[in-house]
Amino acid sequence: MSAADRARDALDRLAEASATERVLISSAALVLSVLVGAALVLVAGRMTACTADEAVYYFGTGFCYDPVVVFDRLFFGALGDPLGGEWSPNGQFAVTLRETTLLLFTGLSVALAFRAGIFNIGTQGQMVAGALATALGVGWASAFVSGALATVALVPFGVLVGATVGGLYGAVPGALKAYADANEVITTIMLNFIATGVALYLVSGVFKDPNSAANQTVPLPEFARFPSLLFGGQQDFSLVALLFGLVAVAGLYYVLEHTAFGYDVRTTGAQPEAAEYGGVDAERTVVASFALSGALGGVAGAMYVMMVLGTFQTGIPSYGFDGITVSILAGNNPLGVGVAALLFGVLKSGTTVVQFATDVPPQLVGVLRGLIILFVAMPEFFRLLARGLPGRRSGRGPEAAATDGGVAVGDGTASGETAGSDGAEAADERGRERRDGGGR
Amino acid sequence: MVSAVHLDGITKRFPGVVANDDVDLEVERGTVHALLGENGAGKTTLMNVLYGLYEPTSGTVRIDGESRAFDSPRDAIDAGIGMIHQHFMLVDPMTVTENVTLGSEPRKWGGLAVDRAAAREAVVDLAARYGFDVDPDARIEDVSVGEQQRVEILKALYRGADTLILDEPTAVLTPREVTELFTVLSELTAQGKTVIFITHKLGEAMQAADEITVLRDGRKVGTVDAAATAREELAELMVGREVLLDVDREPAETGDVVAAVSDIVVDDDRGVRAVDGVSFAVRAGEVFGIAGVDGNGQTELVEALTGLRVPDGGSVRFRGEDVTDASRRERIDAGMAYVPEDRQERGLVLGFDLVENGLLGSQRDPEFGSNGRIDWPATRDHAEAIIEEYDVRPPDADAGAASLSGGNQQKFIVGRELERDPALVVASHPTRGVDVGSIEFIHERLLELRRRGVAVVLVSSKLEEVQGLSDRLAVAYEGEFVDVVDPGETTEERLGLLMAGERPGDGGGEGGSDRTDRDTPAGALDDADGERP
Repeated sequence: MSAADRARDALDRLAEASATERVLISSAALVLSVLVGAALVLVAGRMTACTADEAVYYFGTGFCYDPVVVFDRLFFGALGDPLGGEWSPNGQFAVTLRETTLLLFTGLSVALAFRAGIFNIGTQGQMVAGALATALGVGWASAFVSGALATVALVPFGVLVGATVGGLYGAVPGALKAYADANEVITTIMLNFIATGVALYLVSGVFKDPNSAANQTVPLPEFARFPSLLFGGQQDFSLVALLFGLVAVAGLYYVLEHTAFGYDVRTTGAQPEAAEYGGVDAERTVVASFALSGALGGVAGAMYVMMVLGTFQTGIPSYGFDGITVSILAGNNPLGVGVAALLFGVLKSGTTVVQFATDVPPQLVGVLRGLIILFVAMPEFFRLLARGLPGRRSGRGPEAAATDGGVAVGDGTASGETAGSDGAEAADERGRERRDGGGR
Repeated sequence: MVSAVHLDGITKRFPGVVANDDVDLEVERGTVHALLGENGAGKTTLMNVLYGLYEPTSGTVRIDGESRAFDSPRDAIDAGIGMIHQHFMLVDPMTVTENVTLGSEPRKWGGLAVDRAAAREAVVDLAARYGFDVDPDARIEDVSVGEQQRVEILKALYRGADTLILDEPTAVLTPREVTELFTVLSELTAQGKTVIFITHKLGEAMQAADEITVLRDGRKVGTVDAAATAREELAELMVGREVLLDVDREPAETGDVVAAVSDIVVDDDRGVRAVDGVSFAVRAGEVFGIAGVDGNGQTELVEALTGLRVPDGGSVRFRGEDVTDASRRERIDAGMAYVPEDRQERGLVLGFDLVENGLLGSQRDPEFGSNGRIDWPATRDHAEAIIEEYDVRPPDADAGAASLSGGNQQKFIVGRELERDPALVVASHPTRGVDVGSIEFIHERLLELRRRGVAVVLVSSKLEEVQGLSDRLAVAYEGEFVDVVDPGETTEERLGLLMAGERPGDGGGEGGSDRTDRDTPAGALDDADGERP
C-alpha cells in the first residue's frame, strides 16, 4: 500500500467520523497544540536572556518564559480568572464575550453559505455594509425618539437595518453566481474591497461627523446602543447582543435541520445533481442562502456599531475573515459555531492578557494562537476535504472505481465508461446469474 | 507469434464491486483491437490496469510475452504503452511541438535549455512517418478536435509507444474526423503499432477493428473476428440475455393520454445531438417501453421528459398541459415520478441518511410538513415504510445512503418514487443491480401501478424486462426510434436487429454508414434546425 493510499484511507476514516469522535478529535488536537506550544515557549525562553530569579526551572534547566503562566493567562485570564476569587463580570470576561458575540454572527454567516456549497469570503464586506447602514439608519431614527423606550425600538431597528443591507449586499454575489455563473470566491473578494472603499468615501465625505477628526459617522446617542445589563459597560459588551447571537445559533440550526428551505440548502450543498432531481430550484437557493449569509454578516456589523463603537468608523477589524476560521473549526454546524466562537473569543482576548502579565513577545503569543487554531481546525478541514473528494472509498464505495484513477478522465460521467455505480450492478447481476444457473 | 498484449485472468475488485472478473485479452502486434461493451462493463477499468493506473487484484499482464507489473503509468510508458484519454491532456496555449515533447524535450547546453529546433524536427519527422496532418507550430487552442487527438497520439508515439490505447476516441469527433482517425489507425498498424480502442458503438468496432472483444458486467463474453461477425451478434453479446422472468399480466386497459412527447430534440452535455425528433405518447394504464443499447439518446430523452434537461426543440405535454418549460418542481407536483438512471448522482444524497433521502422530491409536500417546516416523525415513518415494503437492507432508517449496497439503494429509490402516488412513472433501468427476488417485486409493483391506471415509461437495456413488461415497445437507436413494436408479436432476434440500427423493412447491411448520424456536430444541426418547420 503506497503512502498516497494510506493518506486516502486516513481521510476516508476522518470523513466517516461520528459526532462524538469529532469532539474527541478536536479536544485531543487542543491538548496537543498546547503541548507543542509549551515546547515552543520553553525553546524561546532558552534563547533570551533574563536574570536568574526571573527564570523558572524545569528539569533542572532555567527558562525565561513559563509555559504554565502563558497558557494560564491565555485561557483563565481571558475568562477573568474565575478560580481566583476576584471574578467580575466587568473584567476581561466581558471582552471575551464581546469578541465571541461578533464572531458568532460572522461564523454563522460563513457556515450557512458553506452548507449551501458556497464559499462566502464576503462576510467582511457584508459586515461593513451592514455596519454603515446601521450607523446611518439608527442615527437618523434616533432623532425621532428618546428615553428608555427608544432603546427597545432602536436596537431591533438597527439590527434589522444591518441585516437587510448586509443581506442585499450578499444577494449580489448570489445572483452573479446563480445567473451569470460567476465564481463567488472572486466576486465576494472584490465586493469586500468595494464595500470598504465606498464606506471610506462616504464617511470621509457626505456622512462625516463634523465634530471629529476621524473618518466616522455622527456617534449614536447612548439610548440607541445596546444596553449593558449586568456587565457594567466599560468593556463594550452587552448581554442582550449575546442573547441575540444565541438565538441566531438556535435559529439557524432550526432552519437548516427542520425546514424545507434548510433541506433545499443542505441538499444543494451536499449534492447539486440530486437537489436538481429533487425539484430544488438551484438558482433561487443560491441567492437565498447568500442573502441570508449576508444578513448574518450585516448583523455582525450592526452589533459592532451599536455595541462596541457607537459609530461607524473605517477600518473594521477582520471579524468576517475570522468567521471563516470559526466556521471551519465548527465543521459548518451552527451549534458548533457557538463553541468555536467562544474558543476564538477566548484566544483573542487572552492574547492581550498574556501580553500584560508576561514578557513573552506578542509575536510568540500570536504563534501560540495560530497553533491552537491550526491544530483544532485541521481535522475538520481534512474532513471537509475528504468529503469533497471524488471517489471517496468507504462512503461512495464503488465510485472509487469511477474516477479512472483521477488521472485518466476529468469527468467520469462524460466518458460513460465508469465502473462506479454500474460496477456494483455488475457484481449484483453476476450473483443473480449464478443463482439462475449461469448466464447465457 | 507472441501477442503484443496479453492480459491473463485479470480481476479487479473495488470494495464491494468486481469491476473486472477473470478477463483475458490477447492482442496481436500490428492489429486494431476493439474493446466493446456498455457503460460500466469494465472496459476502462481493464485498460487502466494495462496502463498501470490500477493494480489488478489478480491476473497477469504480459507485454510481448514478458510478464510485467506496472506501479504507475510511467512504468507502462516505459514498456511501450501509450493511452489517449477521452479528455485530452493538452496545454491549450502551447504549440503542438511543445505539447508533444512536454516533459521529455530534447536538451542542449548541457541540459540547461530546450532544443526547440530539434524538438520541432522530431515532431515533423514523426508526423511525416505516419502521414499525420499536423502543424507543429500551431497552438492547441487554435486547432480542431481531430487534430488535437492526433497530437495526443503523436505524444504517445514520441514517448516510444508500441501499443496505443484509445478511450472512446470517436466520442468527440465529427464524422469526417472519425474517418480520418480510422485512416490514422490503419497507418499505425501498417507500421507495426498495435491499437486497442474502447467503444460502445458496435458499428465503429466493426469498421475499424480487426478483432473485437466484448465485455459485459466486468466479464469477457467473447472475442470475435470483426470481418466475420454481424451487428446483431455483437448487440446480443453486449446486452446479453438473462433468464426470462415470468410476468403475469393481463391486457392493457388504457385510458387517456397522460404524457406526450412530440418531435423532441435534445443535445447532450457536449452539445452533440442526442435525441433527434422523437415522438410518443403514453396512456393511463399502459407501460411504454424504450429498448436499446445504452447511449442511444435514452438518457437525454428521459431527462427532457422529467424536467432535468431543456430540450432544444419539440414539446412535452403532461396531463393535458404543455410542460415543455415547466420546472422539475412543477412536474413533481403535477404527479410525475422518476427513477433516475444514476442513483448515486441524482437519486440519493449520499451524505444523508435514509430518512432524509425519503424526503427528496417531497420536501414541500403537505404530507411531510406545513408552512415550510418539516415533519420529521412523519418523514421517518415514510422512510421506514419504504424500507419495510421494498426490503431495503440493512433495515435501518438512520443508515447513511452511502453505506447501502447499490441494489439496496436502488430499491429505496424505486420505493420512494412508486409510493408518490404518481400519474406517470418514468423508470430508467429500475432493476439494475437488484437481486432476483427484488426484480420480480419491482416488476409486480410497476404492473400494479399500471392496473391502477398509472402511465409508465420504462427504459431498460435488458430485453426481457422491456419485452415482458411493456404494452408497446420502442427501440432507440442513434437518437431516434427505429420502430415501435408490439412486444408480444416480436422476437428477440428482431429486437436485436432493431437495436443494431436496422430499420423496419431494411434488407440489412447498412454497415457503419449510418453510425455517424449521432456524431454530427451541433453546428451542422443548427443549420438543419433552421429548416425545421
